[in-house]
Amino acid sequence: MIIIQMRPADEREGFAMEMETIASSSSPSTKIVSSELLHSRSLLNVAYSRIPWGILKGISKSIKVVIFSAKINILLPFGPLSIILHFLTKNHGLVFFFNLVGIIPLAERLGYATEQLATYTGHTVGGLLNATFGNATEMIIAIYALKSGMIRVVQQSLLGSILSNMLLVLGCAFFAGGVVHNKKDQFFNKAAAVVNSGLLLMAVMGLTFPAVLHFTRSEVHYGKSEVALSRFSSGVMLVAYASYLFFQLRSHQNSYHPISDEEGHIEDSDEDEPPELSQWESISWLAVLTLWISILSEYLVDVIEGASDALNLPLAFISVILLPIVGNAAEHASAIMFAMKDKLDISLGVAIGSSTQISMFVIPFTVVVGWVMGTQMDLNFQLFETATLFITVLVVAFMLQEGTANYFKGLMLILCYFIVAASFYFHTDPTESK
Amino acid sequence: MVPPDGKLEHDFEDESLAGPMDVPIKSIGLNGIQHDSISAIERTDCIMKTNFWRSLKIILFTAKINILVPFGPLAVLISYTTHDKGLVFLFSLLGIIPLAERLGFTTEQLVFFTGATAGGLLNATFGNATELIISVHALQSGMIRVVQQSLLGSILSNMLLVLGCAFFCGGIVFMNKDQVFDKANAIVNSGLLLMAVMGLLFPAVLHYTHTEVHYGKSEIALSRFSSCIMLVAYACYIAFQLKSSNDSYDPINEEGCENGGILEDEEGEAPEISKWEAIIWLAILTIWISVLSDYLVDAIEGASIAWNIPISFISVILLPIVGNAAEHASAIMFAMKDKLDISLGVAIGSSTQISMFGIPFCVVVGWIMGQPMDLNFQLFETATLFITVLVVAFMLQEGTSNYFKGLMLILCYLIVSASFFVHVDPSPANEGKKEP
Repeated sequence: MIIIQMRPADEREGFAMEMETIASSSSPSTKIVSSELLHSRSLLNVAYSRIPWGILKGISKSIKVVIFSAKINILLPFGPLSIILHFLTKNHGLVFFFNLVGIIPLAERLGYATEQLATYTGHTVGGLLNATFGNATEMIIAIYALKSGMIRVVQQSLLGSILSNMLLVLGCAFFAGGVVHNKKDQFFNKAAAVVNSGLLLMAVMGLTFPAVLHFTRSEVHYGKSEVALSRFSSGVMLVAYASYLFFQLRSHQNSYHPISDEEGHIEDSDEDEPPELSQWESISWLAVLTLWISILSEYLVDVIEGASDALNLPLAFISVILLPIVGNAAEHASAIMFAMKDKLDISLGVAIGSSTQISMFVIPFTVVVGWVMGTQMDLNFQLFETATLFITVLVVAFMLQEGTANYFKGLMLILCYFIVAASFYFHTDPTESK
Repeated sequence: MVPPDGKLEHDFEDESLAGPMDVPIKSIGLNGIQHDSISAIERTDCIMKTNFWRSLKIILFTAKINILVPFGPLAVLISYTTHDKGLVFLFSLLGIIPLAERLGFTTEQLVFFTGATAGGLLNATFGNATELIISVHALQSGMIRVVQQSLLGSILSNMLLVLGCAFFCGGIVFMNKDQVFDKANAIVNSGLLLMAVMGLLFPAVLHYTHTEVHYGKSEIALSRFSSCIMLVAYACYIAFQLKSSNDSYDPINEEGCENGGILEDEEGEAPEISKWEAIIWLAILTIWISVLSDYLVDAIEGASIAWNIPISFISVILLPIVGNAAEHASAIMFAMKDKLDISLGVAIGSSTQISMFGIPFCVVVGWIMGQPMDLNFQLFETATLFITVLVVAFMLQEGTSNYFKGLMLILCYLIVSASFFVHVDPSPANEGKKEP
């Protein structure tokens, strides 16, 4: 979800600094106070210091940092509330809504914990971490849907995530940035955008062949060939994604810096700022948040069909439009913020990098997971969805190839997203699969 | 194969496929050879003495790749002795590889002697002679789907596999920088490829949406008309290329001979065989390839059954990989020498040639023969071509390459071949029966 896959370390620090404005942490004073408290306690009572007060203090401090210092976390109670509602009422629409709202802060905190952990690991492992956990929320929801056999929901939610990142998030970023800086065109690193567009096109290729094969009924073994082809293509796509990571991390460490290098002095001071969580705290929070998201996802997937009936919306619309908008909310906000600060490369990394990650890593990954689980998850996203993705990737690749942005390009992307959303509002699956 | 202005370097590359004997001949130039031909100076055609045995040695025995030559006659033998079509197919494939490479070599040699115009035309026509010959034989047998699929496969393998390998190998050798190539030329070729896709798309969509005026007949009429247009476009493209590269292309003629000096063109390359030798060998190799193609086409269906592979996989993937083997090797070699423009010329130029010349040419030949060959390549194949052209056009538009782009193209080719491995034609009734 949050992820700026391959930014060099200084950009990441900039991101951490920005996250503070959402999180509004008051860490320096908290740290001083807590360490003084520790000191006085241990002086007073030696026996008590045998009990792991230090660890408890540490835990309460990190709880304060992670949970209580982020403004977005007022949405946290919605999570447990939705679970309670699930057992109390039969109103699936309400449960679904509360559940979605409850996941938003968890996804954001998950990204935060990943960022914190990435500051401890090396550049390489940090990049890998970002690349894998970046869209952890979508992956978790997808795996739960797979377990329930809701293959169409998996396909549509992942597709929707790609579409919303490419059109909505990017469009809002371009638009907001263009409105703030409306005297000039903003620039971004064309090379990175072109490589990402190429990968997206390759993903479209991987998705198109199974769909067209199935649609023209020209498979050797009807029903089976297509799944076999999907599994092979997924393997190839995962290899391509791995090489992409390798390529970015090894060979071109220097050529993907953002254009605005005069911001360098700000980034340097960020590197002096200590991370707010220790390494083990980050890891444990990562685990806790993942668990928490898993639980909520399970209930989410359970009520999705009931919600579709209760809210009177097609299931496709919920999976493709609603789920991703909510799941990407934090990324959305940060991309807009960076664009307004004229750091368009980071916005692009968030938006397009996330799309690339989902299309070249998460989708093939779910196919492989489905293979292991024994479900028939394949890359045949049905013709309508595949055509939508194809057109969208073309439009976005075309917009990006120039290397400049203005508010009009952003507006065009947002309006394209409205058209896509409207199409899915009127779209039902010809083959509703459970 | 190689664009008119890119022919010059081909001989360097031939050294590695050819034997060690080429090196001394080149370094001596023509002076050494003139010692052998006593009456050479007196002849008006003083370029060199037409020596059958010497040219046989050059053509047949100096290329390492020619150890595969015996497979050809072997294939013919086996087709009469056994019923194993798979073996016949494999052997004739292997036998064609060296012949295709030598055909390219003799074309290059002949180009030394002709003018810029004729030389360019020669390259443009004979560049993919092997594919054309195989296609014409398949047309004669009425195997229209095989023709369509093998030409499509040739385009796909050139655009994805050959180009990808060239980018990849060049990128690995030159790891620290991006290699650059002539963007303008690549874009023109991409434009032509897109035009070819358009020419192929309309008949297919027309047929598929059942919106033709006369069912079955309109589509062929449209295909024939589109083919003529595509041939005109290709002719203009050749004219356009030749006009703009007229200066760097001087033929060998008598002036050089009167100087008594070394008979070379501007870049210091010497032709290895005389003009008439080149023409004769061109004819011999074409006939030889024709004969083998006949057996190849006969064996295709039997091989598909014997090996349990769909016939589309054989036509789209196996045939072209083998047919393009020599081009493939030369493109990789040039990329590793940082001469990416030539690799691009080999790969993309070949794709353009097949799509804008080879395919329409086959339609016209089919028209003459009375075969219903059309541009409706069926939806799956057309969609594949469309996506591939888009991906490649996108990759090329930047004008730079690195190993990752090459890897992406190769992996795309893997996906494409996997798709064809599980693809059969929905209407096998289209497969023609062999005319006796």
